[in-house]
Formats: sequence, structure tokens, C-alpha cells
Amino acid sequence: MSYLSISNVSKVFGGVVAVEDFNLEVEKGEFISFLGPSGCGKTTTLRMIAGFELPTSGEVVLDGENITYKAPNERNVGMVFQSYALFPNMTVAQNIGFGLQVRKTPADEIQTMVKEMLGLIHLEKHAEKYPYQLSGGQQQRVALARALAINPRVLLLDEPLSALDAKIRVELRQEIRRIQQKMGITTIYVTHDQEEALSLSDRIVVMSQGHMEQVGTPAEIYNRPTTEFVASFVGQLNLLPVSEVDLKNGVCKLNGQLVRFDHSEPRQISDKPRLAIRPEEFQFGQTEGRNLIQGRVEVVMFLGAVVRLRVRIGEVLVSVDLFNERNMTLPRVGDEVMVNFPPHACWIM
Amino acid sequence: MVEAMKRSVFWSWFWMFIGTLYFILPLISTFLFSLRAKKDVLSFLAYERIFADVNFWRTFGFSLMVGFFTILGSILLVVPTAYWIRLRLPKLRGMIEFLTMLPFVIPAIVLVFGLIRVFSGAPFFLTNTYTGTNVLLVAAYVVLALPYMFRSVDAGLGAIDVRSLTEAAQSLGASWPTILFKVIFPNLRVAILGGAFLTLATVIGEFTMASFLVGIKAFGPYMSLIGQNKTYEASSLTIISFLLTWSFMGLIQLFNRGKSDSALAGAH
Ligand SMILES: Nc1ncnc2c1ncn2[C@@H]1O[C@H](COP(=O)(O)OP(=O)(O)O)[C@@H](O)[C@H]1O
Ligand SMILES: [Mg+2]
Repeated sequence: MSYLSISNVSKVFGGVVAVEDFNLEVEKGEFISFLGPSGCGKTTTLRMIAGFELPTSGEVVLDGENITYKAPNERNVGMVFQSYALFPNMTVAQNIGFGLQVRKTPADEIQTMVKEMLGLIHLEKHAEKYPYQLSGGQQQRVALARALAINPRVLLLDEPLSALDAKIRVELRQEIRRIQQKMGITTIYVTHDQEEALSLSDRIVVMSQGHMEQVGTPAEIYNRPTTEFVASFVGQLNLLPVSEVDLKNGVCKLNGQLVRFDHSEPRQISDKPRLAIRPEEFQFGQTEGRNLIQGRVEVVMFLGAVVRLRVRIGEVLVSVDLFNERNMTLPRVGDEVMVNFPPHACWIM
Repeated sequence: MVEAMKRSVFWSWFWMFIGTLYFILPLISTFLFSLRAKKDVLSFLAYERIFADVNFWRTFGFSLMVGFFTILGSILLVVPTAYWIRLRLPKLRGMIEFLTMLPFVIPAIVLVFGLIRVFSGAPFFLTNTYTGTNVLLVAAYVVLALPYMFRSVDAGLGAIDVRSLTEAAQSLGASWPTILFKVIFPNLRVAILGGAFLTLATVIGEFTMASFLVGIKAFGPYMSLIGQNKTYEASSLTIISFLLTWSFMGLIQLFNRGKSDSALAGAH
């Protein structure tokens, strides 16, 4: 059995199903993200692991112990909140030491631990400051240290970076990953930001409307999405209407042209089948063995490393991302272009 | 634009001046009157007499004591209640706030008759002993102090993120008493002090309940007695109690200032 096991967990709030039949096995030391739009049940699931909500049904087992109905203050689970939630009346050092103080740990041990934690988050010089004297990023690092100081069995983070500036956000998320790997602590990270989830996690749980859409490594989630929701929520996805789909041989007609697609995974065809393909799979020009289609450039956006185009193919506008090269001649609006893409990069949805 | 601004500045000073006069004139005349205890000269004789009166110190001490227990009682009643409402029963907040306002609406005389009716017969015989009566007085004052205490504490709770702080403490292993005494109370210090001083000022001057329950032992009835019998001393007592009340107000200001300064420093 795995380290943390969540089985058949559901939560209903007075008729509203917040979480439905949630199942997840987490290995020790794993970094898991819950990813999904606002209101999909991420926080509720996390709070059931922390003990702040009781599941309507199902159970949570941690390290062989059923903790489903255990009080939150007896679970030894670390929690980091979006709002930092530092105690305003305590210094940084007192905040970090609070959990140990509650456990009646001897004073010298607390001091040693607080020092170690301050070193870990690089805030040694701020030990005697109060939370209001720190920046948001510093406060959140203190909150992280406070949660880790009790040596928790699981670390839970609920959108910890959402209140911070973009630059601090990227810095701090690398920091979180570094500390997590150094301590080997089992971590569950809630976010609605796909970039955060992709860059941090060992595995991602994509959620939508209270249920799990897909569980997998970042690469699996991005490259092999199993549902349309996952495909379009994580990264950008073009969906082009096609006809005469032949699943067995992996061919269909797009805008009158014969196009081959990946048919290695079993799929069902809906009544309006569409060809799914990511913007970065396209190239310009003609290459042997690749699908070829004609279109007209309607929008050109130069973004630096990437040139983002909108190309009209038949009825639909398609997003096309080209990597910038120094000698590239940018296409112009109105250009008639040939775009190609490999058969293995597209699939039928 | 500038003209209009100048004019509005003039008028705000004007109205402030009128307001100050309205407020301060009676006070000045009371003060002047209190200095006339000796014929034809100004003196502090009335004040000397008051300070020399054992009953002044006795009643003031008694009411101070009652005030202290009232504050203690109302803190222990209001803080956990207001906290729990914020945390778990936010829908009830409006109703509770209304309930705590009732002492403003119900005349003290009605309240005190009700109390005496209920607590002087079976099964409560509180008015049969001095201690019992004092307890009843404190309890009545706790009710009277509810509007000040509840509003003040509730505003203090509104200024901190009660739910997240509670959950953070819980996840760190804290029990309910630890959360209340280590996290909630310390962060409500200023709010509690504000409510406490208002309560004290009210209790010290309160007349109706005190005279029905403990009579001349309390400061309010003492003031009234002096007012009926000794003209100059009454005026000096007015000034003294006014100064006392205002020094409480000043203390509140002082504590609030300390707080808002640090809050300003934190706003970066
Ligand atoms: N305490 C609550 N009472 C009633 N409904 C709630 C409560 N908490 C969450 N919900 C509902 O449950 C759903 C999931 O919420 P939440 O877990 O907070 O989503 P997320 O964290 O993914 O944004 C939402 O529809 C939300 O309105
Ligand atoms: Mg949430």
C-alpha cells in the first residue's frame, strides 16, 4: 500500500457536490499537484487530507493509519495557505517555533530547529522581525518553514504563490521544489496555474467540476491528454473539424485534404469528430512524410522566442507557434502558406 | 477651485468652533462654580472636601472593583463567542449583534426590576447576601457592557484572518485553548482594551442598577447623593468624574495609536 491513500472520497455541501469519487495513491516523497479551474474541488480535497473538512464518504489513509475522522491538530500534517496566515503577534522565529512549542519540545531543541529552518529559507537575519515587516515572498517562506518545522508527514500547499508578483512566484516555486527534494517530504500542491503544476510536479491530478480528469506525469498530461478538458486546460489545443474518419487506418479528411493521425490509442468518435493538435507542432513548407495543408495568415505576433500566428484553414482559425530564428523572415498577414505537421502529433477527439 | 477650498476650510473650522463651545462652556462654568466653595475667593475647597471624604474613596474603590470583574466577565463571555461566530456561524452575526444592542434599547430600570424579580426568589437567592448581590450587579453590568465589548472585539476579529490563523494553528498541533490564548487573545489586545475602557467608564458612572442593588456603596449613587446635598462639591465631583472618564478615553487613544503606527509601517 502506498504512503498516502485517498479512496472513493466524496464531499457534498448541502446538495452541492464539491468532490466526487476521488481516488489517489501517493508514494512517499512524491510531489503531487492538484490542477484545475477555480471551484473544481481542489481546496476541498486538500482540506479533507488536512482534517478541516470531513468527507461525506470514502477514506484517507496515511502511513497505514486511517485518519479520515482524526482531528486536524492530531494529524501532523503541514499546511501552507495562500494568505500566509502568519501569527501577527509573533516574530518570525516564534512563528516557526510555534508547532514545536505546542508539542512541548525543550527550548534548546526548538532554537536549533528554528535556526535550521531560517537557514533553509535564507532569512537568518530576519528572525526577530514581525510578519508585517516582511515582503509577501518572505512571509510565505516563513509560513513554509513554520509548516516544515514540525517535521510533518505530508506537506499541503493551497495556491501558495497566487498572492505574489510574477517574478517572485517563479523564484519561490523553484525554492519550494528545492526544499521539498532536499527534505524528501511528501507534498500536495494545489494550483490553477498549469505552468506551476508542470514545472514542479512528479505527477499532476487534473480536476474539473469535482472529479478527477486525469492523473499522470507532466509530460503525460501535456502530450497524452485523455479528455478534451485536459487537452484544452493544459496548454493550447487546436480542434479542427474533420470528416470520413477511419480510426483503423488513422486517416481522415481535413478541408478536403487527406490527413493521417495517431491511432495507436483506442478512441471513440463523437458525432462531430475533430482533429486535435498543439500549436507548436506546425512547421511551414513541405516535408516528406508529414501532413500538408494550405492556409492564410491572419495574425502575426512576435513574442521573442516564439512567433505566434493565427492561420485560417478552411472555416477555422488555427494557432501556430513557430520558434524564432535569427534569420527567419516573418510571414505577413494575408500570406498564403503551406503548413505541415507530423501524423504522430495529432489525434482525433 | 482654490477659493471654494478656502471657503470650505473656513466653514469646517467655524462648525468645529461652535461644537467645541457647545461642549466646553458648561464644563467651564461648572468648573468655575466648583471653585466658589469659600465666600468671595476662588479655591479648591470643594475638591479638598471631596478627597477628604472616606465615602468618595470607598465608593470609587467599590465601583472600580465591580468594573474590573465586569471587564473580566465580559471578556471571557464575548471573546470566545464572537470568535466562534466569526469562525463557524457567520450567518448568525447580524442577529447576535442586534441582541448585544438590546441594553441600549431596554431602559436600565426595566432591566434591574427584571433581574431582582428573577434572582431574589427560588431557585436563585442572590439578593439575600452581599456577595450574591455584588455578583448580580457584575452580571447586570456584563449585559450593559455587551454593546461596547462585542462591537469592539468583533471589529478586532474582522481585522485578522480568523479562519486561516485558526487552521494554521490547528495544523501545527494546537488545541482550542492554545488557539484562543496564544493566537486569538494576543491579536485582540487593542480591541479588548478599547471595549474594556468604555465598560469601565460606564460602570463607574452607572446609577440606576447600582442604587437598586447595592445603594450608596457604589460611586454612581454617591455622586447623586452629593449632587442633592452639597452644591459646590457636586460640581467638583462632576469635574473629577469627567477627568477620569477622559483619561480612560485618552488611554484608549494611546493604545490605538501604537497599533496604527505599526500597521502603517507594515503597509509597503
Ligand atoms: N464550506 C463550503 N460550503 C459550501 N460550499 C462549499 C464550501 N467550500 C467549498 N464549497 C463549494 O465546493 C466547490 C469546490 O470548492 P473548492 O474546493 O474551494 O474549489 P477550488 O479550490 O478548486 O477552487 C465550489 O463549488 C464551492 O462553492
Ligand atoms: Mg481553492
